Amino acid sequence: MNYIPHTREHVSEMLTAIGCRTVDELVPGQVPRAARLDLGDPMSEMEVVSYIESLAAKNAQTKCFAGGGSYDHYIPSAIGHIVLRGEFLTAYTPYQAEASQGVLQALYEYQSYICLLTGMDVSNASLYDGASALAEAVLLAHSYTKRRSVFVDGGLNPAYLQVLRTYCEGADIFISDAINDDVACVIQQTPAFDGSIKDPTHMAEKAHRNGSLFISCISDPTSLAIMRPPGEAGADIVTGEGQSFGIPKSFGGPCLGFMAVRSALTKKLPGRIVGATQDGSGRRGFVLTLQAREQFIRRERATSNITTNQTLLALSATIYLALLGRTGLRSVAHTSYRRAHRLQQMLHTRGFRTITPGPFYNEFLVETPRPAADILERLQRCGILGGIAVDDRRLLICCTEKNTIPDMETYAREASMQ
Amino acid sequence: MTAQDKATPGNLIFDYDQANTGHVHTDEDGIKDQFPERDCLPLPNVSEMQVIRHYTELSRKNYGIDTGIYPLGSCTMKYNPRVNEDMARLPGFAGMHPHAPPSHAQGALEVMWELQEALKEITGMDAFSLQPAAGSQGELLGVMIAKRYFADMGERRTRIIIPDSAHGTNPATAATCRFQTVTVRSDERGNMDLDGFRQAIGDDVAVVMITNPNTLGFYEEHLQEITDLSRKHGTLLYCDGANMNAMLGISKPAEQGFDMMHLNLHKTFSTPHGGGGPGGGALGVRSFLEEYLPVPRVVRNDSGHTFDLDYNHEKSVGRVHSFYGNFGIMLRALAYIKSWGSDIVNVSETALLNANYLLGLIRGSFDVPYDRRCAHEFVVSTRRFGEKSALNIAKRMIDYGLHPPTVYFPLIVKEALMIEPTETESKETLDRLAGALAYIANEMNQNPDILDGAPHTTAIGRLDEVMAARRLDLRWRPPKG
Repeated sequence: MNYIPHTREHVSEMLTAIGCRTVDELVPGQVPRAARLDLGDPMSEMEVVSYIESLAAKNAQTKCFAGGGSYDHYIPSAIGHIVLRGEFLTAYTPYQAEASQGVLQALYEYQSYICLLTGMDVSNASLYDGASALAEAVLLAHSYTKRRSVFVDGGLNPAYLQVLRTYCEGADIFISDAINDDVACVIQQTPAFDGSIKDPTHMAEKAHRNGSLFISCISDPTSLAIMRPPGEAGADIVTGEGQSFGIPKSFGGPCLGFMAVRSALTKKLPGRIVGATQDGSGRRGFVLTLQAREQFIRRERATSNITTNQTLLALSATIYLALLGRTGLRSVAHTSYRRAHRLQQMLHTRGFRTITPGPFYNEFLVETPRPAADILERLQRCGILGGIAVDDRRLLICCTEKNTIPDMETYAREASMQ
Repeated sequence: MTAQDKATPGNLIFDYDQANTGHVHTDEDGIKDQFPERDCLPLPNVSEMQVIRHYTELSRKNYGIDTGIYPLGSCTMKYNPRVNEDMARLPGFAGMHPHAPPSHAQGALEVMWELQEALKEITGMDAFSLQPAAGSQGELLGVMIAKRYFADMGERRTRIIIPDSAHGTNPATAATCRFQTVTVRSDERGNMDLDGFRQAIGDDVAVVMITNPNTLGFYEEHLQEITDLSRKHGTLLYCDGANMNAMLGISKPAEQGFDMMHLNLHKTFSTPHGGGGPGGGALGVRSFLEEYLPVPRVVRNDSGHTFDLDYNHEKSVGRVHSFYGNFGIMLRALAYIKSWGSDIVNVSETALLNANYLLGLIRGSFDVPYDRRCAHEFVVSTRRFGEKSALNIAKRMIDYGLHPPTVYFPLIVKEALMIEPTETESKETLDRLAGALAYIANEMNQNPDILDGAPHTTAIGRLDEVMAARRLDLRWRPPKG
């Protein structure tokens, strides 16, 4: 395919206008020239489709009982139709507000939804993903409290912990094993990696007594439809992964990091923030605001280096929440909860002991009677992705509204076969 | 009015309770008293058609590349081929769970491996990580690797050299990793000033971050000297690849002397910018830094036909993404690269041609701060029209159905317009853009008042940004009572 519109005549007219014989002359002599790239012959659109489809066919399509930060919730058809509209898809960061009211208003709505769901005061306009959003929250807490370490409650997604360690090493922040007077923030994930729902009140109070911020990290935010919002339980910062809201799993990305804070921390937020304002005639409109926090103005004193974020995914999430509404989102949460508990009971009677302590949402950890890998392999042969093997004998299983009762029966039957 | 304002009861789209197991109620399930429940979920209930109409209306208030030329400098707003959207939405990819075992994700891993190979060929780097979700995260990863590399060497280096024409992300990234930024000014030809560089370089400099071509739109002419001096001091050379659209098939950053670089897949390789993301910020390194790349890494097995995820790298800095990066963006970038093949050099050659042609057309209307041939973009100054003139001209362009260029950047040019036409714009479009700019420059002389209040033709006039920052209104709140 050739995406260049020029005819040969145009090229020679343009070269003449510039005063060159060849395009080569536009490259200064100091630039070391590359040999012709070895990238194969160009492909037509038809060939590209055939090539990419052949790669897609090498992936196994399965019914999904895995979670661990990526959730198989149903995606309403309408979302794709809207986000594919070129006015949204092919725009960039709305620096020119008057030509970008559509995306700006959608982001304002997104910020509103995130605040309503989390019970927080202010949200930014998205971050990359759940893991880096948590790392950014820690940088925020460090900058706000001037303390240099962080305490992580058990139950954090191990990949998130790894990302946090990487960011902390870069920023000279330490991961502490106690809540001491150098702890900038205390992190608690809920539902935790093993699915358990924790009441954050106790940990939030402990953090606050110590002068630390309390960060609540949300893995599957459909849980917020039924859980008490972290803002009501004392969270100072809520971060999480918004992929559950109408975004395909897509082998783990792009996904949607979100972050909301209480109002005292507004000016410490990383990334874009949209605000409402007026034009000269008093008409309401939307702009990027509080830009003095950002790298392109503040440079080395910016709150973060983030620039491009995940706007189109924030738009997907916004449309998802608008489509489902109060009733639909509660229904997704209740059904996911119920399915997970049903499967947990089915497995329990077949010798899979549940290890997740206390109440859980839509994920639970079981001890397997046989090696977890064998069970996953058997399920895979029946077209089921049976979960995540946490180690040899432990399996993390997830249900959403998409998992049907017959599929759960197949799961339980096959998983317990010798 | 926002979707929330339109909240009305009824017309429910989704009710899984009814659809599946309607007989079971929450209370009987025992959710109650299991954990602290929320008592109020203040979301609207609206119909699907209301939602579609609302967001269709919003889309009509937005300008994209599909609407017309979008010449934002350093953003590479080129045409986004639609077939790549279809490819990213194939169920075999979109439906892939990231924890699927590698044996069942061979297609996805092959996509990543193939893209890494192509990026290595394009840049000359020896290894790539596709984890960074955007260019700025690629930079951050690069600086983290540099920090770890010097720690391993037992060296304490505290400074990073950055030219004054650099993107703001460069100093912000350096600061995030607790390095001190040393700014080197630009010389009269728009290069990094060599004398300034000689004074700044030293054994305590960890990294020199250079955007090439730089944000003035020029290839750096002193790279050889900068490379030699950096090597002498053991300093790493980092290339900000935001402007790679000027180098495809023309020159390889590794052969220019760079040790590391990030690419912006959404710029150079045409994945849609999405109103501000998602992007992709692949990081490439020379072989001596490869062992520091994040895990897991995609590898090809000895057989040559199968692929795997390799977590076993002791020296790796760790991880910067929940999973493997923005996979959907990698897929689109691979499809784009495959569509061009080795002919991809045409992309950069045409980008250079378009930028130089456009510069020739508009140089009479504005001041050109550095009189050189440009690469894929250029910067002009509107200072002859006084303060705020760049802003006024940008807003007036909206009246003529054109998206404005980047304004007031780079910071070293007063009243800057930074223009990047890209290779996908036709000669007619460039002629029209130049014509409109000449017309506006004329308006500036004849009737400057009309520009002060621009735009005049949009649904909303110029918005008060000062008021937005002073009287913060950052969200909708449900009405009381």
